[in-house]
Amino acid sequence: MANKVVLDSASLQRALTRITYEILERNKGGQGLVLVGIKTRGEYLAHRIANRLEQLEKETIPVMAIDVTNYRDDVLAHGDHLGLDEKDSINIVDKNIVLVDDVLFTGRTIRAALDALIHIGRPKSISLAVLVDRGHRELPIRADFVGKNIPTAQNEKIQVSVEEIDGKDAVEIIH
Amino acid sequence: MQRHLILEDGTTFVGEGFGAPATTFGEIVFQTAMTGYQESITNPIYDGQMIVFAMPVVGADGIHAEAYESVKPTIRGMVVHDLAEISTNRQRRMSLDRFLKQNNIPGLCQVDTRQLIRHLRESGPQKATIVDYVDDHARDQLAATVLTKQQVQNTATPKAYANPGRGYHIVVIDFGLKHGILRMLGDYDSNVSVLPYTTSVEEVLTLDPDGIVLSSGPGDPNSLPESVFTLIRVLQTKAPMLGIGLGHELFAMANGATLNPLVAEYHGMNHPIQEIISQEIFYAMQGRGYVVDDQTVDRKKMFVTHRDLVDQSIQGLRHRDYPAFSVQFFPDGAPGPIEPNVIFADFFETVADYVEQYN
Repeated sequence: MANKVVLDSASLQRALTRITYEILERNKGGQGLVLVGIKTRGEYLAHRIANRLEQLEKETIPVMAIDVTNYRDDVLAHGDHLGLDEKDSINIVDKNIVLVDDVLFTGRTIRAALDALIHIGRPKSISLAVLVDRGHRELPIRADFVGKNIPTAQNEKIQVSVEEIDGKDAVEIIH
Repeated sequence: MQRHLILEDGTTFVGEGFGAPATTFGEIVFQTAMTGYQESITNPIYDGQMIVFAMPVVGADGIHAEAYESVKPTIRGMVVHDLAEISTNRQRRMSLDRFLKQNNIPGLCQVDTRQLIRHLRESGPQKATIVDYVDDHARDQLAATVLTKQQVQNTATPKAYANPGRGYHIVVIDFGLKHGILRMLGDYDSNVSVLPYTTSVEEVLTLDPDGIVLSSGPGDPNSLPESVFTLIRVLQTKAPMLGIGLGHELFAMANGATLNPLVAEYHGMNHPIQEIISQEIFYAMQGRGYVVDDQTVDRKKMFVTHRDLVDQSIQGLRHRDYPAFSVQFFPDGAPGPIEPNVIFADFFETVADYVEQYN
């Protein structure tokens, strides 16, 4: 079973760079921006986009991580944990939120993230940045910023690795 | 045969003639890259100029079929330290000497190019002539020579032409493009229309481009008509845009920046360039006589995306509101490092996004 590399380290970095420019283009700068990374890998990607924004704009963009497990419609055990640690909680009211995730697939994770966000405040806007859009949506959700569109078969698996926890940057299709 | 190089400031150098035995006049600049003399002498950015090569031995590769950057070289002369008399590269088609003879371009070798380049580094570009004898007549001729400012007109296409492919439709506005740009666009199988820089906004939009490239080119960007800047200002709002070299300078000017001439033009590939957003450093072939004035770049309108780490000059710009960006260096890597080829990948990804969104 060979994995097919669809984005290597350099192209993954460039995809994040392009997403960063597009976010600034759409948002008319960094004002009011909050990046929300969906755990696990979305969080690291959100930090990388924030670093890039900082290099360009010389201003710090707040980043927070969100765990959407308890908001999922396909997970039964609903606890009362809001998926957000109090300590990294950032006021999102009237902010322009960019949700960041690694792979956009059915759209169910994003729906859960929207619920989680709305739960903690009313942002001015929410947009979505994903490293990979692999299609097969089950909900009416689309990404505003896409690193790479990768047409896939339903039974294929997309594996995103990030340096921070996986020791390498890559996007692979596993057959 | 012994021949002479006379500079506008009176300095003379003696050497051995090669190439065409003609008398020549032109602006003299120097090139510090160690490779790529064929690409350099055929690159239209040197239209009307004489190039001094810092590389001590030039010509050992001969002339290749695949290393042309234009159909015909339009440089006025070539000054080298040592001309390699034997070229052993198996891909060579002819010797450099024969190539220059065929194109009526004089060369001068056995010149102390180190001294000459040191001199030019301080004096900046100046008029020069290669002659058989140094006498008052030659000096008077040089003094009376008026250098053209029509280089873009001389090298850019007067008529539109196509470089067909099956992919995205890319319009190239030609200011004297080098082949490397078309080669790279071809690598992405794009369907290219090359248009004269005098094309009107309406004519470009009628072609419904998926992306627009402002080509590199020779000469003084200030000599171009106002219509060019209007064209850029409108087109940058219509489709993704990539400016290269002169195209970058024009893109900057169209968006309100001004240019400063460099004391000595920089032609080489030994300056590290940093991409600011990723902090990554790479090398690229550069050929520039102007630099975008940092103070005049409206930061509310443009990002500075790349900088030369030797002289801190701006090497890349990007519009804040539109997917339009530009680089001062040559991202096609002909000659030079190929790392910056990814600029074209970025461009085509931007084009793909644009097409997906609006079509």
